[in-house]
Amino acid sequence: MKIATIVVAIAVLFIASTIYTQQNKKLDTHLVEFTAPFVFGRFNLPENNPLTQESVLLGRRLFYDPILSSNNQVSCATCHKQALAFTDGLKTSVGISGNPLAFNSMSLVNLMWGPRHFFWDGRVSSLEEQAIHPIAHVDEMARNIEELIVDLNNDETYKKLFKQAFGNISEQNIAKALANFQRTLISANSRYDQYLRGEISLTAKEEQGRKLFMAHPDTKVVLRGGNCIDCHSQFLTSGFGTAFDGFSNNGLDDDQTLQPGLFTLTNNEMHRGLFKAPTLRNIAVTSPYMHDGRFATLQEVLAHYNGGIKRSKTLSPLIIEADNIAKTQSDHISLNLNDNEITAIIAFLHTLTDEKFLANRAFSSPFMAENNDDD
Amino acid sequence: MSKVILIALAILLLSGCSDASKTSNTATIDKTKTSSKANIEQTTTKNSATNIEETQAMVLLSGLPTLGTTDSIAIIEMDPDSANFGNILYDYSLPKLDAPMHHLYYSPNGRLYATGLGSQCSLAEIDLVRNAKAEPVISNFECLNTNGQNVGEDIMWHNVNGELTMFVTFMGGSDLTQIDAGTVGVFNAQTNEVIKIIEARKSQVEAGQPYIMFPHGISAYGDRMVVTSSTHPTIATEIGNTITIIDLNTLKPIETIVIEDAKPVGFPSSPVEVLFVRPSIIEGVEPAILVNTLFGFETWRVPYNAKTKTFSTPEKLYNGATEGTAVPLEFYGNEDELFISHGVPGIVKRYDLKQLPSLVSSGEDIKAENGAHHMIFYKTAAGRKLIAVQNNLLNLGDAKDNDPTDVDFLVKLNHHSVTVHDLLTGERLGEINFKEKYKKGIDNIEALFGSGFTHHH
Ligand code: HEC
Ligand code: HEC
Repeated sequence: MKIATIVVAIAVLFIASTIYTQQNKKLDTHLVEFTAPFVFGRFNLPENNPLTQESVLLGRRLFYDPILSSNNQVSCATCHKQALAFTDGLKTSVGISGNPLAFNSMSLVNLMWGPRHFFWDGRVSSLEEQAIHPIAHVDEMARNIEELIVDLNNDETYKKLFKQAFGNISEQNIAKALANFQRTLISANSRYDQYLRGEISLTAKEEQGRKLFMAHPDTKVVLRGGNCIDCHSQFLTSGFGTAFDGFSNNGLDDDQTLQPGLFTLTNNEMHRGLFKAPTLRNIAVTSPYMHDGRFATLQEVLAHYNGGIKRSKTLSPLIIEADNIAKTQSDHISLNLNDNEITAIIAFLHTLTDEKFLANRAFSSPFMAENNDDD
Repeated sequence: MSKVILIALAILLLSGCSDASKTSNTATIDKTKTSSKANIEQTTTKNSATNIEETQAMVLLSGLPTLGTTDSIAIIEMDPDSANFGNILYDYSLPKLDAPMHHLYYSPNGRLYATGLGSQCSLAEIDLVRNAKAEPVISNFECLNTNGQNVGEDIMWHNVNGELTMFVTFMGGSDLTQIDAGTVGVFNAQTNEVIKIIEARKSQVEAGQPYIMFPHGISAYGDRMVVTSSTHPTIATEIGNTITIIDLNTLKPIETIVIEDAKPVGFPSSPVEVLFVRPSIIEGVEPAILVNTLFGFETWRVPYNAKTKTFSTPEKLYNGATEGTAVPLEFYGNEDELFISHGVPGIVKRYDLKQLPSLVSSGEDIKAENGAHHMIFYKTAAGRKLIAVQNNLLNLGDAKDNDPTDVDFLVKLNHHSVTVHDLLTGERLGEINFKEKYKKGIDNIEALFGSGFTHHH
């Protein structure tokens, strides 16, 4: 009896210790080392999902793997292509069902910075939470998560990668891995970044555009401005820090056609028509533009801000007020920038393209790398 | 630093000026935040992290040789409510240089620079990045080419014909042995390349012509820049008493104006910091240059007519000798007030910004410590508005520590501390004594996110 107890006790201890070592093994991971520009501001990493090399390796594979879709045809990368700064070039994305989604694909870049609200309407509050949405969505990947887990468990590579990163395969760990891969999508080498570091100078036109982008027009002191920074202050990241900073109505629709936007999340009437001001990084390669992809070119975007604004009850006062000629009686809203100024702003927006990021092998499909092992 | 300063301070301290702080003009102020919105000349990318790290400051710390410490740049927690208050969150060792680094400045694009009091590194750029833990760290400290200029003091960025340009005053000029040394360095703000070193030594210009000597303070409005003529950094007998106007179209000095009358300690007035009060600071203001005189203990005003581009006769606005203060140093302004630090008795005087270029008190003096010098403005995590004052003139050591660089009484201007005060009431909420806590002196303080103030130069 006593001996039995001791044996049991030892057995329990043994099991406990293997669980312990296994769990410890799970913790035998390596944190990703990197530095990021100070001017981006502070970023936040969730405590329960350390940014480990192992989770990123796994996340990258998952991101590019159509195994995440029910017909094995659609991966995250179908709608988030690296060469397009992780957008898809479509007006609104199309997934497994072939039905166009309601929204334009969003660029995935510098996602560690701040936003507590993902998607155009901010309805999701973490990258982990976000990752499951497209997988389960009928029009996107339409994958049953339980079945996905079974399939992943039947795949030796995934079994190994999950074991190294998290110990086991679960919905939560799929989400964590995808989130962490996306966190490593840091872009900090556009010409504008290089300019900020003093490595290069902007051309006269780009510099004119930069000044206009940064300035709120003030006719009293003859300061011309495009007013962009007022809403796009986090244009290098989209990392708005607090509350609903970064959500605004930039005049796309009138009251009749106003989309719900942030209202979807908050049920607050004053949030109807407010959308997230997305990153403007790599904006030259992420057309078409706006939450519904309504503008095909940056020229069209600028034409919108320069006379195409539609009034509605939640239109941002920053837009109503900004004008480069003293306000007249007319209630037509326009920045009243001239053509030369418009091209300058567009030239500046082009400095935000980070070619290195768009071609960085660390962010490309691991399956491609497996297939052509030429590096 | 010049022995003369030491002597001057000695006399000053012996003559009892330090019994001060009973200022007469204590007009009350309306602290309600009306829209005194000043036009900001250059907008920079706002930083999303300001709300998280707003209470952190960057400081230049000087090793005190006899205490076995070396120079560094540190990030410290400045929120008196925080358990970390006064703690060094990050410390970056500086290379061994012939003199301490002296001032930190953020450029309008958020690049960090420092001037240095020596010859080896009179100007440097400091690269800040974040590591994988999101902590700010310094990735590089690089001394910049200045074509051999010595003793960097102040930096100002200013648009010259639409080009952002970096101006640096070099008190020791191109050669420290020159009795009338001093230059103003003009740099390409983007590449840091020298565009021009403006030199106009008194001994080399014709009599009566404008000159630049020991420049320290710097400020500008439109196409006019002003630099002060303070003291020779190494030759004890040489002290200035003028300011010089530079025409930014030609980058040449065009006028030298004497700022002096009574000599309370028998030395030339030694203009130190200047502020060109201009419409970008207060809408519609009558422009004028404000000048603090280190040994005159005064603040002067030199009115400027922007139409005719002429300066009128200087007027004395504030007399420290009668008010019981000495060694006026810096100008700092926020949206409502202008602050002037006085090293003796270690106070910060505050004035209504809207009434500039007159000095109309906006509240009681903030009682810091001897050597009151640089300051920052910030909010606690709880949202309380604070001012922190660095109380230290120069880090020349301490005789008690048997430090050869020290002269006894200078300690009186080297409290080695930062005091933290409620901005509204001036109430002292905390003090960090760097010498006691870290065996180091403190040379400069800057908010981690740059100018917690809007007007400095
Ligand atoms: C069928 C196309 C499609 C697929 C597949 C897809 N996405 Fe998206 N993604 C979108 C669209 C469209 C949006 C914007 C949707 C919205 O706002 O509601 C978006 C938004 C996002 C965002 C929000 C970015 C931000 O800044 O708010 C993230 C993150 C993201 N996707 C990651 C993923 C991941 C990870 C996968 C794979 C698991 C994936 N997406 C699969 C189309 C797709
Ligand atoms: C009132 C705030 C506001 C101002 C001012 C503003 N924007 Fe926007 N911007 C937004 C919002 C919000 C969106 C997303 C709107 C949507 O899709 O519903 C947006 C979208 C964009 C997009 C499309 C991004 C994408 O990925 O599709 C571009 C490009 C852009 N803005 C450029 C500019 C420029 C250039 C200026 C200055 C001329 C400017 N914005 C001024 C708020 C603003």
